[in-house]
Amino acid sequence: MRKKTRALSGASQDAYFRRVLRAHPALPAEARDRLLRTLRQEVAQLRVRVAPGRDADAPPAAVCGLPPAIAAPPVPVPQPDPPAAPPFDPFSPNIVVVVRKAGREAALAALGAIHSLDNLRLLAREQRLTVGADLSSAAELRIAIVAAAERRIANRMAAAG
Amino acid sequence: MTQFLAVSNRKGGVGKSTISVMLAHAAASWGRQRVLVMDLDTQCNASLMLVGGEGWEKASRAGHTIADYFYDRFEKVAEDESAYVLSNVGDVAHGRFFAGRVSLLPGSQRLEDIQSELFVMQSSKKELHADAVAVQVRGRMKRLMKHFGMDFDLVILDCPPGLSYAALAALDLADLVLVPFRPDFVSQFALDRVAMLIEKVETGEQLASIPFGERRYVCLPNYLKGDGHERLLIDQLALDHPLLTTRLPTLDSIARAFDWDETRKSMEQKYADALPHLRQLHGEVLGAPLLRAKTA
Repeated sequence: MRKKTRALSGASQDAYFRRVLRAHPALPAEARDRLLRTLRQEVAQLRVRVAPGRDADAPPAAVCGLPPAIAAPPVPVPQPDPPAAPPFDPFSPNIVVVVRKAGREAALAALGAIHSLDNLRLLAREQRLTVGADLSSAAELRIAIVAAAERRIANRMAAAG
Repeated sequence: MTQFLAVSNRKGGVGKSTISVMLAHAAASWGRQRVLVMDLDTQCNASLMLVGGEGWEKASRAGHTIADYFYDRFEKVAEDESAYVLSNVGDVAHGRFFAGRVSLLPGSQRLEDIQSELFVMQSSKKELHADAVAVQVRGRMKRLMKHFGMDFDLVILDCPPGLSYAALAALDLADLVLVPFRPDFVSQFALDRVAMLIEKVETGEQLASIPFGERRYVCLPNYLKGDGHERLLIDQLALDHPLLTTRLPTLDSIARAFDWDETRKSMEQKYADALPHLRQLHGEVLGAPLLRAKTA
């Protein structure tokens, strides 16, 4: 006999997800909440099979006593696409300000969050911090950027007398 | 009590005269103050903005400029100095019953020559070292400015770039110095220098030892385009100098406000989309306790 299907969306879909997740008591509550949020966010409409004699709102197979592995193959939980990274801001952090306020180590640490050589060079260029063109590692570039910021500060102090 | 506000920066082209005139209009219109603009800049831009070319030329020919005032009154002040004042100037209508008015002591291209002349005159009188004579000339100019301003609620001293005796006297007299600057590479040096001059210190370390709240000056970022380079520089300058929260962008309406017009208009008509910025500037410099605290 052919199984019927039923479309769920909105509150009924939400209730279905909750029931499915409740059917896996071994799942930590935190993971269950995370999955629920993801499913709510990613799934607009759901079509579930309705076995004869069973309502679509009935609990899924796992709840009927079958071992989960048999009851249903693990449903791949749709993973949301990682949020698009914001474009790199070459004006942040303001290296001269960080060096002035917190010192060279803090500036090196702040630059440590930038891994791309291109971005480090872009930051140096936009912040008018001159670094050698021959530097080929991120670590070297970071040190050169901080040194350039220190030169800028010394230059201004000298001009102020 | 008269408040003296100097608008100064040793660097030229930062908007000193424009800001002086804008604040004068704002103080007269919104603060209903009797405002005097003293034009200490030999370019006379504030005068041209307030009375136009013909008005300034007429005052100049009549010998009613700041250079004439310093020269005529260097030895002895008079009770009535009204001949030097151009009253109710500017092209903003302040309303018939408002006390607020803008007056002008017009600038002169001869001011630098007059200062040299006064220096030579003083030198020839007494056997004094040049530095001592310079102090005397500056001190006398300061007293003359103070005397002239006594009939007003607010005196705005539009200072020249550079360090003439008149400029130094104005910085010395001012209750508060507003330092407009363009956020570019050389501005930081100019700000450091003018700040040390105002606070009468000789090194950056000495300046740093003075808390922001006790300084007699505040800086105003002007001509902003809103790019990251400006942000960098402003953040760097904020480490060393008190900055207003007001930021003046580059606006056509401010550039057009430079033009003097025979027809008087409302503040809204004159300053158009610059009006909110001017309101903020006025509130922060003159409406808020900033200047009052300095004069107390």
